[in-house]
Amino acid sequence: MSFIWFFLILLCLLMYVVLDGYDLGVGVATLFERDRRHRREMLEQVAQAWDGNETWIILLVVSLWAGFPLAFGTMLPHTYLPLIVLLFSFIVRGISVEMASQAPPAVGWERAFGIASLTAALAQGVAVGTLTMNLTVVGGAFSGSAFGAISWYSVLTAAAVTCGYMALGYAYLKWKATGELRARAGRRGVVLAGLAAVLTVACLVAVNGTAAPLNLHSPGRAIGFAGLLLFAVVGVMMTLVTLRRASRYDGLPLAGLTIAAVAVIIALVVARYPVLAPPDLTIANTAAPQNTLIFLIVGIGLNVPLILFYNWFAHHTFRGKLDSGSGGRDLPNPGLRSHL
Amino acid sequence: MSLLDLSRWQFAITVIFHMTFPAITVGLSIFLCVVYGLYWRTGKPVYLQMFRFWRRIFAVGFAIGVVAGIVITFEMGLNWGPYAAQTGPIVAPIIGMEVVTAFSVEAGFIGVLLYGDGRVRKGTLFAATVMVSIGTILSSTWIIAANSWMQTPSGFALHDGQFQPTNWVDAIFNPSFLWRWPHMVLGVLISAGFFIAGIGAYYLVKGRALQFARRSVSIALGVAAILLPAQVFMGDQVAGHVFPAQLSKAEAAEGNWTTPNTGWVLFAIPDQQAERNIAELSIPCVGSAFYGDLSCKTANPPLDLTPTADRPDMAAVFWGFRAMFFAALWMFGTLFYATILRFRRKLWTSRRFHKYLLWTTPAGIVAVLGGWVLAETGRQPWVVFGLLRTSAAVSHLASGEILFSVLGFSLLYLVMLVAYIVYIVRSLRIGPERDHPDYVDRPADSDTTQVPSRSPDRIVPALASEEGLS
Repeated sequence: MSFIWFFLILLCLLMYVVLDGYDLGVGVATLFERDRRHRREMLEQVAQAWDGNETWIILLVVSLWAGFPLAFGTMLPHTYLPLIVLLFSFIVRGISVEMASQAPPAVGWERAFGIASLTAALAQGVAVGTLTMNLTVVGGAFSGSAFGAISWYSVLTAAAVTCGYMALGYAYLKWKATGELRARAGRRGVVLAGLAAVLTVACLVAVNGTAAPLNLHSPGRAIGFAGLLLFAVVGVMMTLVTLRRASRYDGLPLAGLTIAAVAVIIALVVARYPVLAPPDLTIANTAAPQNTLIFLIVGIGLNVPLILFYNWFAHHTFRGKLDSGSGGRDLPNPGLRSHL
Repeated sequence: MSLLDLSRWQFAITVIFHMTFPAITVGLSIFLCVVYGLYWRTGKPVYLQMFRFWRRIFAVGFAIGVVAGIVITFEMGLNWGPYAAQTGPIVAPIIGMEVVTAFSVEAGFIGVLLYGDGRVRKGTLFAATVMVSIGTILSSTWIIAANSWMQTPSGFALHDGQFQPTNWVDAIFNPSFLWRWPHMVLGVLISAGFFIAGIGAYYLVKGRALQFARRSVSIALGVAAILLPAQVFMGDQVAGHVFPAQLSKAEAAEGNWTTPNTGWVLFAIPDQQAERNIAELSIPCVGSAFYGDLSCKTANPPLDLTPTADRPDMAAVFWGFRAMFFAALWMFGTLFYATILRFRRKLWTSRRFHKYLLWTTPAGIVAVLGGWVLAETGRQPWVVFGLLRTSAAVSHLASGEILFSVLGFSLLYLVMLVAYIVYIVRSLRIGPERDHPDYVDRPADSDTTQVPSRSPDRIVPALASEEGLS
């Protein structure tokens, strides 16, 4: 039972990384965009979708809490500082994107949006890194120290996650934008996708020196891990090759990066299952009782296809390329167009 | 100040801040449905103007509500780890249902609601607006179910200190949920009514966009006038059902320490240590009358019936209750007067009333927040009433960590609140004229030159000349 629920949590994680990954990445990219018109286009892209994309991290957090309450109640205090910074970033990001979109011109809010996107990506990277440090649990409750969870490894994961998100963001812009913005997204995307790939390899190598080494002792795990990494390599190659091309298939770089990100995360799960956090928090010893899991699988599990539909609906409504000529969306607000 | 106090303050600040926004946006989302539905059916431009203007106020409030809500979910694990571990099997699935049936619905359709105007068909935009408001109502349903379980837990068994579900129907439809849910929904609808009426009154005072302003104020005050009597009844029912289950909350809310009081305490400054009120003003016999006894014999129970270790902080509970109660009286009087004016056909001519109405904008929000302060501080010192103490539910964090987060949240929320108010005032000054479909863009922005330059701060003549409600 807890096994099924674990896979739903994994699905949330994958959806979150891909969807909010591109949207945080576009946010970070606004910091490096000099042209105001382009910056607005990028911001408007995020304004339409961030709410739906962030649904997945909420579902991830609540699913972890409901399915594995003991893990949730100790892992979150363990990663307190990076998660607080993440929440600060979400707050600033949420308000600044709406302010900049609803009441332009708002140069200050645009800047705040970019910076908050960057700190959100970094904080997520640091948080991932803290899960390679041993949790101090006494009597079922967390009792570690504030900075005990943060190590040099967190710096590495923060860099990898941020570069990965930025690569996703540029791949997304390559898909949605036209003209100069599209071309620049292609050029910068290549650099960041390459950087993200190198940093991810560094993370995978270095993780064996932490408290959460990869467990590849059985042939099944080793083969699965290697196979998935192969997928990731193919995905990255696909992205690197197609990003610079002026082709009709502008969606391919994003598809390639999605394959790579999904493959790397599943590979990590293959190599760590069934441990949630070191030293000994596993799926089995933190799972909620049967009654809860049945409720979750029926009540929440059956709703997940609907959420996927809502995500599809939201992206489908605003499908197609942005029209750079009129400055993005056909805005109902006449005041806005004058500033573009 | 202890680590427990810091975590409690952080929760209080973040949850009160969060609640301010649903108190505006739940009702506003339904208002948007109504006006867009009217526009779709009648094609009258004023409804589209109303939709566009109020949507702008809604958009930012909704976004702040969402991000502030995300914070609450994380805090359950961050600051209240033992609570999360022990109540997770029951509370978390209920919150999970909120995420999948409400949060995700809102998130999925908000993009279309905010940016779909002119890009999607009217039917699609209306459907998206309806979905968002269904989401906001469902959201409050699940959240009240989870919170009510903490007030009146049922349908569970304790195993190794963990609350495990034995009967989901009992756990979700727990004794206080059935009363608190309608009370909460009515509360947020009325608070949105006052919010809309107050802002609409600004244009009545200024004599701008009159048709827009009159329709907004008329709908908002009309709905509030119908709902408030129902709310007074529901509030009484909630007290009748929750107070017997939580005597300590009832005792603290009434403001008496030792002697049973047949009077009703209007004002008090309680001293928790000395177990007395430093100052007190009590109206004789009214306390008894609230229990349905007009003969002045039924007394309110005092707080010393509860052992010292199990007492909530009287000042917070008492004043939470009074804030809600006084705000309700204030709103009742306002609506009563507004209804009289409406029947005497003076609602649009009484300038003094319009000016007064401006000041009632936050009345409903005050009542909703006061009610939550009563519910939450009145449950103390328990987090699950009678079963799990708040002091046993707090995470063992370093003081520096919590200080960092408390100060950070306080600062950020202060900035956001100021930004939202500035934004509303700015939107208010610019006004709804630009949202009218016949509004002509400034010539600098378009190539239509037959219309002379028109500042958005001035009245659009076509609108100002329309009188009354047609």
